[in-house]
Amino acid sequence: MATRNRTVVYRRHRDAVKSVRAPLFSSASGSGGPVIEMASLLGSNRSSYAPLSTEDPGPSRDAFTVGLPPSWVDDSEQVAANIQRARAKMAELVKAHAKALMPSFEDGKEDQHLIEALTQEITDILRRSEKRLQKLSASGSAEDSNIRKNVQRSLATDLQNLSVDLRRKQSTYLKRLQQQKEGPDGVDLEMNLNGNKSRLEDDEFSDVGFNEQQTVKIKKGQQEREREINQVVQSVNELAQIMKDLSVLVIDQGTIVDRIDYNIQTVAVSVDEGLKQLQKAERTQKKGGMVRCATVLVIMCFVMLVLLILKEILF
Amino acid sequence: MVLVSAVRDYINRMLQDISGMKVLILDSHTVSVVSVGYSQSELLQKEVFLVELVDSVSKSKESMSHLKAVYFLRPTSENIQHLRRQLASPRFGEYHLFFSNILKDTQIHNLADSDEQEVVQQIQEFYADFVAIDPYHFTLNMPSNHIYMLPAVVDTSNLPHFCDRVVDGIASIFLSLKRRPIIRYQRTSDIAKRIAQETARLMYQKESGLFDFRRMEVSPLLLVIDRRDDPVVPLLNQWTYQAMVHELIGIQDNKVDLRNIGKLPKDQQEVVLSSEQDAFFKANMYENFGDIGMNIKRLVDEFQQISKSNQSIQTIEDMAKFVDKYPEYRKMHGNVSKHVTLVTEMSKIVEERKLMLVSQTEQELACNGGQVAAFEAVTNLLNNESISDIDRLRLVMLYALRYEKESPVQLMQLFNKLASRSAKYKPGFVLKQAGVDKRTGDLFGNRDLLNIARNMARGLKGVENVYTQHQPLLFQTMESISKGRLRDVDYPYVGNHFQQGRPQEVVIFIVGGTTYEESRSVALQNASNSGIRFILGGSVVLNSKRFLKDLEEGQRMARSSTAVV
Repeated sequence: MATRNRTVVYRRHRDAVKSVRAPLFSSASGSGGPVIEMASLLGSNRSSYAPLSTEDPGPSRDAFTVGLPPSWVDDSEQVAANIQRARAKMAELVKAHAKALMPSFEDGKEDQHLIEALTQEITDILRRSEKRLQKLSASGSAEDSNIRKNVQRSLATDLQNLSVDLRRKQSTYLKRLQQQKEGPDGVDLEMNLNGNKSRLEDDEFSDVGFNEQQTVKIKKGQQEREREINQVVQSVNELAQIMKDLSVLVIDQGTIVDRIDYNIQTVAVSVDEGLKQLQKAERTQKKGGMVRCATVLVIMCFVMLVLLILKEILF
Repeated sequence: MVLVSAVRDYINRMLQDISGMKVLILDSHTVSVVSVGYSQSELLQKEVFLVELVDSVSKSKESMSHLKAVYFLRPTSENIQHLRRQLASPRFGEYHLFFSNILKDTQIHNLADSDEQEVVQQIQEFYADFVAIDPYHFTLNMPSNHIYMLPAVVDTSNLPHFCDRVVDGIASIFLSLKRRPIIRYQRTSDIAKRIAQETARLMYQKESGLFDFRRMEVSPLLLVIDRRDDPVVPLLNQWTYQAMVHELIGIQDNKVDLRNIGKLPKDQQEVVLSSEQDAFFKANMYENFGDIGMNIKRLVDEFQQISKSNQSIQTIEDMAKFVDKYPEYRKMHGNVSKHVTLVTEMSKIVEERKLMLVSQTEQELACNGGQVAAFEAVTNLLNNESISDIDRLRLVMLYALRYEKESPVQLMQLFNKLASRSAKYKPGFVLKQAGVDKRTGDLFGNRDLLNIARNMARGLKGVENVYTQHQPLLFQTMESISKGRLRDVDYPYVGNHFQQGRPQEVVIFIVGGTTYEESRSVALQNASNSGIRFILGGSVVLNSKRFLKDLEEGQRMARSSTAVV
């Protein structure tokens, strides 16, 4: 697709105009010039410092302040950083899952611990981020609140995708675990989930092929697997909760809410509405009896004071 | 895909090199351009956290210098004025300006004059000046469309403005495709000729450097035709999904506004019908009403099955599966509700206005012969109390267009009958604009022997569906182009252009507006793999209401000007 860059022409003309304008403000522009250079540099670097103002150069130029971004931006940046961390941890988790599923001669306890730890960490990060996201509070002006709402939405989408991803990975791991378990033990997993009892009874009756020691080992192995599965199930529940909370914030793609023109319209409408409400509130407040009461009382106070002074003077 | 992907590419390029939090500022036209191709969630992914209109930016006094402003505007004088004011007291940290069409040098100078704080980092021209509503269909959403009907002597002030906007839109299409076309126009239309010549002047003389692209062996073709050559298509009632929704309810920028239709739940009051985002719509947009009903029923059955399985959650596995599939389930639910609502509302309207009855006569008027039968049918319908005025008007107009010369007496009778019902409507104007003398194409297939024979054969064979038997004139035009047999006499070349053989890319621009029936024709033609890619565009997208309004406005303006003269 064709495009055309007109910046060069523009800059040339802008410089020409500036040099024409410069002699008129010779004294002020001396300090205004370098300040403006710095201001444009600082504008792009957000972690900048105090606002600066130029000396009054002329009636047409307003003081150009480089402001700090509002404080909630820090919160949103934190959440974004958390999401990045969670992604890295998920990559580690995938590796740990793969390693745990590989047949090995060891007990595999460390792998399980690692997986548990990682899963717990990720779920924690997600939960914390989600809480912080909810807290991006509702103070500030109307426009700022729009930006804040949009930032919330975008981060919520990322968080939700992450939790869905985590869930999917866990369920594949769980499934593979089931398959593995059915392989060597030949015992159906469903029974394990529903209760220990039936399994124990079976073991007690199976005296062919297994001696005491092996039975104990098998039991231990099964218990461990069961513990893992329970943990996975628990984290599934937690994630489900997080997803439910987030789904309020996330935009449904393909619906009217995802249209740019619809969002501009609703902004305009809500800003107008807000203004109307404010005006109405102002009017009722002005008309209100409270103001009148207060004025009357203040006047009475003054009158009493004057009377008191008079009383002191005369008597 | 080609039009929508061009717009998306432009927007991606605008946003990709600018880091940090951004605010996107659009004007009332570019909002439509951007909204049909890009979604709010995609903007959020690109860190654009606020979208505003350029005229409302001036009203707020807040300074948000941690944001970078990306402006995407049409280069009109009002936008330049707004920009100048905003550059003089800048609210944002950086300003990146993108214009949807060619800037004049004076405009650049004006902006540079106001940019005392030197906040503008770049000015570029990104030629996305059209609304890409479907993969091969674009529109320009022009406000006063009826101007094309007035001859130049009547209206000397608005007409150049109209032509300029059309030329800009066509130029931006070819710039985004990076091609320079051979231009042909419809001989009998002055405005088509004017637009074609001005486009040629722009592409080959004024900005020939900009349009100097790598030449392929076969140049594409731009064909500029006039709506009045086929006035039948916008007057007909439609029975294929997309066209029908536009005819009965109205689609604007792929959005349907159902608020005036009835009491609906809040999330169904405005819906989106976009073939890019909705797979069911993409598969069904060109199907006729009966088939759609069946397909929607199938969709609802599928959905019911899924939701039933969702309700029987017994093990933890089931719960896990449910949580997994929940987002998709929600999306499907919204989609199914949307289509069911649309079809229900349309069925209601069809029932109320007795459109099956009316449409049958319309199709016969448009396609078959038999003047006597037609006259009788139209008279009966005019006498029928439950037919609405607008439907009566359309019937009389269609009859007038078809049997203009055959029996003037009966035509007058119909006019009088219509006038006695509703004096507001004067159907005669359509003949003045689009009568048989003014038309080039063989609209009813009754001009030369070959067409008459073809018509008779079709009549004998019988049609699949009485309600969708009409083929727009555009279909014949496209066939002629495919065979390389578009007559020079009817569609001359501009200047000394010439093309041997068939083009491989054709852009057809209809001055006065396109219809969804025609865009369906184009899409089906493209799908038939004939080796030629057609793109259709117009100044607006018409339905019968809009076309009648344009006729009315045109008539009013013509009359008021003759009164003055």
